[in-house]
Amino acid sequence: MSAPNSLRCLARPSAIIPRSLTSAPWIAAPFSTSAPSLAKAETRKGVMPGGHVRSGKKMQLGKFKKNAVRQGKSPLPGERKAYRKRIQLSNSNALPVPGLEDVRPADMVDENKIGRVMSIPGLVLDQLRDVEAFKPTQYWGMFRTPSTLLRAETVDLARRMQNAADKKDMLRLVISGERLTGKSLLLLQSLTYAFMNDWVVIHIPEAQELTTACTEYAPIPETDPMQYMQNNYCLRLLQGIRKANERVLSRLTCAHSHTDLPQNIPVNSTLLQLTNSAKEPEGAWLVFQALWKELMSQTATRPPVLLALDGLAHIMRVSDYMSPSFEPVHSQDLALVRLFCDALSGKSTLRNGGAIIGATSRGNTPRSPSMELSLTQRLAEQAGEEAPKHPPYAKGFDPRSEEALKSVRVVDLKGISKPEARGLMEYWAASGVFRAACDEKTVTRSWTLGGHGVVGEMERASLQTLRP
Amino acid sequence: MASSKQSFTTALRSIRRTANGQWQPLERQFEALRVGGSVPRSRRCLSTSPRSRDDVESFPIRAAAEIDFAPRPLERLPIARPVPASPSYFSRKPTFQDGFLRLEELMREYGKLPTIPTEQAERIAWKSFRNFKHALGEEIKESEFHRCMALVKRLHRIHPDMKPEEVTSALEAYKKDIQPFTRTDTKPIIDRLGRSLGTGRRKASTARAWVVEGTGEVLVNGKTLAEFFGRVHDRESAVWSLQATERLDKYNVWALVEGGGTTGQAEALTLAIAKAVLAHEPALKPALRKAGCITRDPRRVERKKHGHVKARKSPTWVKR
Repeated sequence: MSAPNSLRCLARPSAIIPRSLTSAPWIAAPFSTSAPSLAKAETRKGVMPGGHVRSGKKMQLGKFKKNAVRQGKSPLPGERKAYRKRIQLSNSNALPVPGLEDVRPADMVDENKIGRVMSIPGLVLDQLRDVEAFKPTQYWGMFRTPSTLLRAETVDLARRMQNAADKKDMLRLVISGERLTGKSLLLLQSLTYAFMNDWVVIHIPEAQELTTACTEYAPIPETDPMQYMQNNYCLRLLQGIRKANERVLSRLTCAHSHTDLPQNIPVNSTLLQLTNSAKEPEGAWLVFQALWKELMSQTATRPPVLLALDGLAHIMRVSDYMSPSFEPVHSQDLALVRLFCDALSGKSTLRNGGAIIGATSRGNTPRSPSMELSLTQRLAEQAGEEAPKHPPYAKGFDPRSEEALKSVRVVDLKGISKPEARGLMEYWAASGVFRAACDEKTVTRSWTLGGHGVVGEMERASLQTLRP
Repeated sequence: MASSKQSFTTALRSIRRTANGQWQPLERQFEALRVGGSVPRSRRCLSTSPRSRDDVESFPIRAAAEIDFAPRPLERLPIARPVPASPSYFSRKPTFQDGFLRLEELMREYGKLPTIPTEQAERIAWKSFRNFKHALGEEIKESEFHRCMALVKRLHRIHPDMKPEEVTSALEAYKKDIQPFTRTDTKPIIDRLGRSLGTGRRKASTARAWVVEGTGEVLVNGKTLAEFFGRVHDRESAVWSLQATERLDKYNVWALVEGGGTTGQAEALTLAIAKAVLAHEPALKPALRKAGCITRDPRRVERKKHGHVKARKSPTWVKR
């Protein structure tokens, strides 16, 4: 009787022998973006290595016995948001990329460097962090050092900025484009260029912070029509300016004396002192105004100024603020926004040259028909085509926004070319986040799945599984 | 009734007008209409209008003719109102009824002819109930359809050597438009611009894909893959036939998709692109079949059942 049993044994699959933790190479992943604290989960009792936390069905004898799930300590208020909004700029688990160079000012205007990934130098990195140029949605935390791809658009933009600085001219430009095409990153690259060339950089990282009624505002006396200052925001902005531009500002001296400020600033004190004089929200707008006046001064030598803003649609509409007579306030009646829009429209000029760059955004952005129409009109004009007319029956148009965008240059960002895509993917592969061989086939695959080289979509298609 | 009377009088008036503005006796007018065929000329006519002199001369007053009581031969009067072509016009399903009656008639006539067993008869895909109903555009019952099809199949079994032409032609209407058993594959073609067209279906979606040699650009309804499909998985399934055969960087695709949802559209594209690629490289067929890009997935959404919340889901059990 034993024979059939033993034969049956042959038909059954052999029992699974659990692999030991130490000898299994597949458990020791060479690269991980998750926090080391999560690794403890694998050594817990009763959980198979690499298996699920739930170890399968278990018999339960007591009918109403509750599952003893240990909840742990719940995060404190604000902790979750801080975790969500944290910006991690490097990852020591990622492989160092051999041959990765720091970008130099000359590289950004060099055509031969198109398609290469270059890292941002440490000094500039701190400056960029001070002006809040990095965003939590970007993939910086997957690589060893923050690096960017030099695209054709980057080089073109850097050249235009160089031209503007040389001729003491004013570059007025709007970065537009589809979702995830790298608009904010191109803005970051322009900031990088400005920092590396010792420009004075004023960056508004999120325009919505100015117009969605989330920061305090007060009417500026003796203005008609009434304008509003946002002292709290101005203070934060000034602190960012001071930190990021410390080196440049400490070299420049005041051409005028400023007596109406919270602190008396005599002639020949440095601009850094002037900026430092804003300690309290009260008077922050005055200090900002004084700083702007100094930067625009014709009597002294001043470096070029970069005024950058992300989320342009937010300032191209009526804001969420209310006037004292309880009427909605137009965004461009907010003094800081007005300063930006006047410069963008060319109404006010940067006397010492510089650039005004606004970037549109496709996430959490209000619809601004005027901005959309103006940008398509500018693009058509740039291409030498007939610009589309104002639709006669459509609603929601805003003449002030159209006025602001009347003569800007528009960069319409699209997908990257295949050589650029290859440069980027080779960088991914060298960093250890892209495990397949990087050849024509894989590059084309990512390029096609990413909608003809839309960088963010390429990342989604290739690196999404690695996202922490 | 009133309207017919009215139209009759207007007809009469129009006839009157044609006769050079002269009044004509009713008798003549009836004659012109040919109602009743043989109205005796001698009968006196009634008219309220003054007669012209000619009329008086041509119709002298005479006594009525004798009434002929002899049985007349039955003659058909011409019909003055339109009669429908089919006697089953006033039923809800005239085409079906006529067809059915025709089949019965054929059965009475040729039912005695020798038959062959079903398996020896020519294999034919008959229209399904749904198909047939749709083609006819009439509300017919399934049971009636099956009775009809039984006749069709019986007539089809008549020995081919003796099968009359009228039977063959009568059965044509019950065949499917596309006969899979006798159909030969149409060879896909590449047009003068180097494009090949493939179609694919999945669930409720239909896709047409034009494939040309190129560098891996894909446009679906004028949008790129990333714009058209939000899920990366759908993008991959859309170009799976190219990716599985490592041809993604060799062709460009321009596709039109309609119907259904995103998954269905993506998988319809898989089939469409595979078929179009086969026109360029027929040798890829085994590889594509292995990748699952050749066979159409026939599954559709399952119908809801009574007593269930969805197709399978039962309502929650309640004690009372």
